[in-house]
Amino acid sequence: MSIKYLVGAAIAAAVSISVSAPSFADPIDDTIKARRAYYQVVGFNFGQVVAMAKGEADYDAEAAKNAATNLQALSKLHLLPLFPPGSDNEAKKGATRSLPKIWSDFPGVVEKVQAWQGAVDGLVAVSANGKDALGPAVGEVGKTCGACHDAYRAKNF
Amino acid sequence: MALKEDLGSSAGSTDPADELVYSKVWDLPTRLFHWALAATVIAGWYLGYYREFSTIDYHFYLGYATGGLLIFRLIWGVVGPPSARFINIVPGPRRLITYIASVAKRRPSGVAGHNPLGGLSVVALLAVLTVQVVAGLFAEDDSLFASGPLESYVSLRWTAFANEVHYISSRVLLVLVGLHLTAILFYQVWKRENLITPMLTGWKRVYGKNQ
Repeated sequence: MSIKYLVGAAIAAAVSISVSAPSFADPIDDTIKARRAYYQVVGFNFGQVVAMAKGEADYDAEAAKNAATNLQALSKLHLLPLFPPGSDNEAKKGATRSLPKIWSDFPGVVEKVQAWQGAVDGLVAVSANGKDALGPAVGEVGKTCGACHDAYRAKNF
Repeated sequence: MALKEDLGSSAGSTDPADELVYSKVWDLPTRLFHWALAATVIAGWYLGYYREFSTIDYHFYLGYATGGLLIFRLIWGVVGPPSARFINIVPGPRRLITYIASVAKRRPSGVAGHNPLGGLSVVALLAVLTVQVVAGLFAEDDSLFASGPLESYVSLRWTAFANEVHYISSRVLLVLVGLHLTAILFYQVWKRENLITPMLTGWKRVYGKNQ
């Protein structure tokens, strides 16, 4: 068997793999998209009360209550399907900032998610009680967001 | 001989007649800049590291103030007095090597301005602070819904990149400030040279400045 033949076969294999690879759609890509969309919806609802707490939007008891209640519903979703193994930022470079630590330290994630849920419950409880009551509760929720981001999310893609 | 060397010659000079005399080294704008920068950087670093909803706005203001001070310093480094000028601060390789060879000697450097190593430290600090401020303009903290004034003009990819740069340069800054303070302590204790008072009064003991 000649070297030429081997090289030819290797090139043929490399070309066929690189051409056909993109045609295999990876379901994990869709899951990552859904996950990021979920956090956008979370951010959208939290953003409503943040704007009121910061004075960037006028305080509106009903709107605050609605946003907080939405956030509460979102926080109670079953999040596990959004985090399948293999959807971390090493397996899916450039698509996500989720660190592999999410999967290697799952109890830690659960703890932080529960802290977030607790803070959101606290926010719902005071959301209709005026701007002054809203501020500290929003701050508490923000802290729980940040705690998880700092521990389990890469700064860059 | 050793005593004579201790008291007499400077790092770059072999003239034993050189003596330490007081000379006005740091002009007022440079001194004000130094202490204002120290204040904005310390406070800004603190409010960035321990960031909260209620105080994150002050982190931003301190960043803008730091940026303003840096712009002043860049201009002053071109048009200011000799000890403030970058052309004198950035050492040539020969001057740097000569200085490093003598830096461990137990005597004051007696330099009328930044010594070659200190000059490098100054340039590094100003460069890292510039990176820090510029990255901050494009960065965001989405937990606090706080974003730099230019964040909305770039894509999420650039914002994430700016976040990473802002974080890394803050750590580099911590190391550089640590070096800065360690060097001051080293000069104070080992080389018996006070660097703090001159930055307050402008007057420093230097070699052979008899005018």
